[in-house]
Amino acid sequence: MNIFKALVKREILDGKSFYIRTPAILASLTVILLVLSTLIMGEIHLDTSNGGDVKNIGEGMALLQEKEPEEVSSAVTLMYWGITMLTWFAFPFVIFFSLLGTLYEERRDRSIMFWKSMPVADWQEVLVKLFVPLVVAPLIFLGVTIATQLVISVFMGIVVLFQGGPALEMFPLGLMFTSWFILLGHYLMGMLWALPLLAWLLLVSAFAGRMPFLWAILPPFVLVAIEGIFFKSYSIAKWIAIHMGGWREAIEDRIAHNIDGPRDLFNMIISAGLTESVAITFSSVNMWAGLLIAVGFVYAAIEMRKRAI
Amino acid sequence: MTEYVVEARGLSKSFGDFHALKSVDFSLPLGRIVGVIGANGAGKTTMLNAILGLSSYEGSLNVLGHDPSKERDALMKDVCFIADVATLPKWMRVVEVLDYVEAVHPRFDRAKALDFLSRTNVPLDKKIRALSKGMTVQLHLAVVMSIDAKLLVLDEPTLGLDIIFRKQFYQSLLEEYFDEDRTVVITTHQVEEIEHILTDVMFIKDGEIVLEAEMDELTQLFIEVMVDQGKEEEALALKPISRSSTFGKSTCVYKNIDRETLAKLGETRRLGLADIFVATMTGEGQ
Repeated sequence: MNIFKALVKREILDGKSFYIRTPAILASLTVILLVLSTLIMGEIHLDTSNGGDVKNIGEGMALLQEKEPEEVSSAVTLMYWGITMLTWFAFPFVIFFSLLGTLYEERRDRSIMFWKSMPVADWQEVLVKLFVPLVVAPLIFLGVTIATQLVISVFMGIVVLFQGGPALEMFPLGLMFTSWFILLGHYLMGMLWALPLLAWLLLVSAFAGRMPFLWAILPPFVLVAIEGIFFKSYSIAKWIAIHMGGWREAIEDRIAHNIDGPRDLFNMIISAGLTESVAITFSSVNMWAGLLIAVGFVYAAIEMRKRAI
Repeated sequence: MTEYVVEARGLSKSFGDFHALKSVDFSLPLGRIVGVIGANGAGKTTMLNAILGLSSYEGSLNVLGHDPSKERDALMKDVCFIADVATLPKWMRVVEVLDYVEAVHPRFDRAKALDFLSRTNVPLDKKIRALSKGMTVQLHLAVVMSIDAKLLVLDEPTLGLDIIFRKQFYQSLLEEYFDEDRTVVITTHQVEEIEHILTDVMFIKDGEIVLEAEMDELTQLFIEVMVDQGKEEEALALKPISRSSTFGKSTCVYKNIDRETLAKLGETRRLGLADIFVATMTGEGQ
């Protein structure tokens, strides 16, 4: 346990700019942009469909609360997520480049010889190098998102208070809390599907002598091209697309499409989808087959690490 | 009964057609400082990598009761090494290195490492990237010497360091680290600097061990004679392994001929390890 903690700490220190600085900078940027735009715009004029004239967020909130009170907390939570989405744009890149670099860099800078002089097994090293980008990194990103959403809600609460709107409505804490956990659930399902692709990156990182980026991209691309040219079929490309997120299509058929207002949207995006996701994920042969491939890739990466000097 | 740290039988390693190690047998007892000496590409690092579980091999190898190719992680509790190049992670701070080793290594003594470092100029809060080459080596040595290991392997440990530090290092290795419960294996090109601390030597050439001996034994085995004038023929009759002439006088090196016989030919002296190495490697000493 001590070793595990030390390895995780080391990986986070090594990837500090990826795992900590990137989300922190993007989150700060989000807050700054929000504050600036609120201060500069100050007053907005919106002609609502209901005919009312809304001058600012406070009045908008008041109007929404008056007309459709049951939609308020969903609308606010969705708005916070919309604002904090900027941080998550970096996330796929963080995962991609951390996995691709982790076993490659230690060979390139020869620090592998130092790590190998410690009583830590190669399987422990490789599994931690998978665990940190896949589990610790999203938790850090989520933590930063939660902090940002709380900061934003305090700021919005004050703004709305001064504008004479329903300030307390800016703190739909229950719903926000739910959304954090449910999004984590969504992430876990997505990760299970993407695991063979992610494990491939780890394997490339373990064997590539140089140019891991090309090694990661080129072989799948060549396979797809060969299949397309000689067999006129695209099952490999489709397989990759499904594992990258295409599997969610199946959910969309199952959930209601008559979205009427933020509450339905919230339910569709955040809560209703999850049970369907879990059901589809664990009942899919394709997903399990992908996991098996992922296990193979990780095993191969461990064997490569054992031989690497 | 002698306790062995390393026992190798028929240890071989090939890279394609190149035989880096050709079925060598050797044993390293506990409580020795062994110098492994050989030219570049002779197989030193290949042999050390096998001992350290860093590469595969053929033959049988037992290091402190472990098969290194399968149990490197368990082995590293009792074995420490510094590879021949700077390997400390450049992005880490000095104190983070200590934290890490303290967390993963049960035999690491942090106070001892801090004591070693306090005698150097290595700053604890700096990143390794910012340290000079000498400081980086000092840090690595401080870490390694604070681990209570049974076997310490140093592959060119003082490469790129100035002479004062090299002297200090071997001094503290001898005085503060080495004892009868540890074995140290050192490879270096600066043979002169380590010969006074070695208890044993092993010469490697083209993947084979050409000589394995205790230092005391070895220095008595090889004797150099400044042959007196008129005794050249007598000297040649004893089959010197090498001959040279300086200031008009012949100098002959003999192996395994007793000193009294040689003393009749002229002035005798012991041969330094570097000269013994050269004499052995040029082929005549075998």
